[in-house]
Amino acid sequence: MERLRQALAWRWRQVNRAQLWLLAGLALALLPHVGRLPWLLILPAALLLGWRLGVELKLVRLPPRPLRWLLVGLAVAATWVSYQTLLGREAGVALLVTMLCLKLMEMDRPRDVAIVIGLSYFVVITVFLFDQSLLMGAYMLLVVALLTTALTAFSRPEASVPQRANLRLATTLLAQAAPLALLLFVLFPRIPGPLWHLPSDATSVGTGLSETMSPGNISRLSDNDAVAFRVRFAGDTPPRDRLYWRGLALTHFDGRTWHNPNETRRDAGAAHSFDFTAIGEPLRYTLTLEPHQRRWLFALDMPASAPPRSTVSADVEIIARDSVKTLRQYTLLSYLDYRLGAGRAPRQFTYLRLPPAIAPRARILARQLRAESRDDADYVQRVLDYIRQQPFYYTREPPLLLDDPVDEFLFDSRRGFCEHYASAFTVLMRAAGLPARVMTGYLGGEDNPLGDYFIVRQSDAHAWSEVWLRKRGWVRIDPTAVIPPERVESREDLERIAPAYAALTREAPDWAKRLWRKAGYGWDRVNNAWNQWVVGYDQGKQLAFLKGLGLKGFDWQRMLGLLFVGLGLVVAIIALQLFRRRPPPGNAVGEAYARFCRKLARRGLARKPAEGARDYAARIIPRRPELATQIRHITRLYQRLRYAPSTPRDGLRHLQQAVRRFRP
Amino acid sequence: MRSGWWPCCRPCPSPDMLLRQRLSPARFLRGEGPRAGPLTLRQRRVFILPTRQGLFFAAIVLLMLIGSINYDASLGYALTFLLVALSLVAMLHTYRNLLGLRVDIGPAEPVFCGETLRVPVTLENPTGQARFTVSLHFPQQAKAVCDVPAGGWARVALPLSAKRRGRHALPRITLATAFPLGLFRAWAYAEFDARVLIYPRPASATPLPRDSVWQTELSGGQGQGADDFAGLRNYHPGDAPSHVHWKTLARGQGLYTKQFGGDRAEELWLDWRTAAGDVEARLSTLTCWVLEADAGHFRYGLRLPDQVLPLAHGPAQRDRCLEALALFGAGDGA
Repeated sequence: MERLRQALAWRWRQVNRAQLWLLAGLALALLPHVGRLPWLLILPAALLLGWRLGVELKLVRLPPRPLRWLLVGLAVAATWVSYQTLLGREAGVALLVTMLCLKLMEMDRPRDVAIVIGLSYFVVITVFLFDQSLLMGAYMLLVVALLTTALTAFSRPEASVPQRANLRLATTLLAQAAPLALLLFVLFPRIPGPLWHLPSDATSVGTGLSETMSPGNISRLSDNDAVAFRVRFAGDTPPRDRLYWRGLALTHFDGRTWHNPNETRRDAGAAHSFDFTAIGEPLRYTLTLEPHQRRWLFALDMPASAPPRSTVSADVEIIARDSVKTLRQYTLLSYLDYRLGAGRAPRQFTYLRLPPAIAPRARILARQLRAESRDDADYVQRVLDYIRQQPFYYTREPPLLLDDPVDEFLFDSRRGFCEHYASAFTVLMRAAGLPARVMTGYLGGEDNPLGDYFIVRQSDAHAWSEVWLRKRGWVRIDPTAVIPPERVESREDLERIAPAYAALTREAPDWAKRLWRKAGYGWDRVNNAWNQWVVGYDQGKQLAFLKGLGLKGFDWQRMLGLLFVGLGLVVAIIALQLFRRRPPPGNAVGEAYARFCRKLARRGLARKPAEGARDYAARIIPRRPELATQIRHITRLYQRLRYAPSTPRDGLRHLQQAVRRFRP
Repeated sequence: MRSGWWPCCRPCPSPDMLLRQRLSPARFLRGEGPRAGPLTLRQRRVFILPTRQGLFFAAIVLLMLIGSINYDASLGYALTFLLVALSLVAMLHTYRNLLGLRVDIGPAEPVFCGETLRVPVTLENPTGQARFTVSLHFPQQAKAVCDVPAGGWARVALPLSAKRRGRHALPRITLATAFPLGLFRAWAYAEFDARVLIYPRPASATPLPRDSVWQTELSGGQGQGADDFAGLRNYHPGDAPSHVHWKTLARGQGLYTKQFGGDRAEELWLDWRTAAGDVEARLSTLTCWVLEADAGHFRYGLRLPDQVLPLAHGPAQRDRCLEALALFGAGDGA
């Protein structure tokens, strides 16, 4: 046992520490990609990392050259199998990661090491293509510190310094680089938009709203608290129950699933003219959308225009040219009151179509209610009354609807969430000959009391209906909102779908809940600031920032000029610090005594040139008798350290301590 | 005191250099010419350029910048700029790692042609900043790497392969460092006004020319030599320890020195004419003979076409003879 321990210790001493720093940094850099890249590539990468570690610990040998080439071929093949391409963001990252891990098998010369470390830094940046959150930024700073430590360790392999010193050196370098990096970040002219169009990834997994809606298929609505987007209103915030965030329109129903086959919204640039009349004052707001990997954008119902690099579809959805892969920010005008498409009836074919075999009972109900009502508007009211009066419940865990979801929901289960209500309501409208569509998006949001903005979360996702009425155009109807509060299952849901009612009956939450909530808002505010000022820092922000400094009308040339002047200044300051002559250590005793003399000199008791320490003490003690003990102690220590043949242990420390405490 | 902070503010140590000389590319490539004594590496002497790894790093950073622009990744920009700033800072650190060092050389022991000369180089660090991985080398020679602690010094024996006999000016020493990140290489040239002596390559074991040995006294001479034990005398300070008669000391009888009779009275003249071959071959043979004669404790002399070294023995005679052989035909013989 003891021998084993000794053998391990010996082996540990043989290990090249620089390699360990590198492997640690690389492994941590790859960690966020786990789960994002297919296992077909992650597992080999982990295996190769482990192999290299084994080589470093002298446990295994490097693979022979033919095997390495075989592995390279396999990696390319695996990437191709996973993505059917080698280009684009995800396939490119996957290829880079595997090739980098293969390079670990061939890392003998300093040049190879430089390549591996350089590419490891590149891996860090690929993580930022997917996730730019504050935590990820902090985590990646750690990775950069490790990789930099590896560089320092490789550049002084022979030095007998502890590894801590390498870490400290790397941290010092990064700390000195930080102001320069900040300057570059703020002043380097930002070039908007992609330089070239990259193939969009087919396999990216999105979060948030889905492209289809199948009410009967979900037996449990997930409670995802992730932020969908944040909004800052320029003026007053409208009431929460009017905040319908318009997303996608679903026009086609096959009996189970709503979707939108409208091809026109796929091609960017297809312009649609709308018969749109705004009523009242517009609301101006800036929306910061979290990346959701899809192309649609959200806007308060009803937006008056589309943000740059996006178009509006025939169903008034805002479709971006590229899928939203990074934080996207845009400013819009919306009108809460509007009239849309009042002049011309929409195409019957699209908005009235129902598969012939579905929902026979719903059709009967529709026919009956329509016969009783005076006009279309009255019919809408009667359907809403039906939902209000019949025992419909709002629940997040509805029963599965297997055969005919609409009929089963309307007449049997009568339990569901917004999707069930929107779907059934739209079917009832179409069955009576009213053009209707399902809208999905978000409803409401919460005000962050610690910041001046709104948070809309994934759990605020909502579905409602739009019905076309003669002379009034498309009218938004939210059938979920008519369910009486006592039939809403949980308080949270009530808050969401009927905030006005919930406000009346709100109880004061206990202090722990309040504190937790407050902490959550605080954290969200930090994240929001991060998003606004770091992730969302673009050309506009840059110019606004310079304007704030009083530098108006800056173009990029002047910005570059300012940048270089600033860089030169900061580099000069750092160089001044670095090249300042520092006395070598060893004269610490003299330093400490000189400090003592300076302290006294400030009180008008300067030491004369060539005055001995003892004479000096003898001269000043009568002038400051209250300090006599301290002065004698320091003088004695100094003389002993300076002139005695053998110095007392810890003498220097005592002297320094005494001088520090000495306050004349 | 304050004016000494920034090396630039210091009065230039050699005001003899004109601006044109300072900026000439020859200085950049060849250095400033030999100097005597210790040499301080001021900023005038230290140059810096990116290494090949540094260029690769720059290419990666450029790619990162393009990627950040293309994907509008703000943190990508941040990382790119952090790395740019890091390399700028590293450049300053690399430069500082060489700046202010004092370089001096010691006398190098002469070696035979074909061997490796070890030139003792001292790096002194009068500053409070330790220096790491400073590499030194003569042109096309092996490198020596050392660290110099703050306020301390380091000494390396810098290898220089001896290729030609004679007294040569010491080639220029290149001091270089890529610490701390290996992205930049700072270097400085140190050229010293020093010479090294290289003896001819000794020929492989050539027997001594026995016919030129003659014995003056058959029984050995008087006086002091190293061969025949002649008796003991009282110890005088300065006697060689190998001649001290330790046995009497061990017996407690006091300290005595062994006395030897005169050397084996063989005298040997090593003559240019007895050696065969061309000039270099003859010198090689003579070098071999000098070494053998020295090892055999002969009294020997050396006859060269241009000079004659009289009979003598011991290390001094050996060095004299080898030097004469090394410098043969070098004109003034200096």
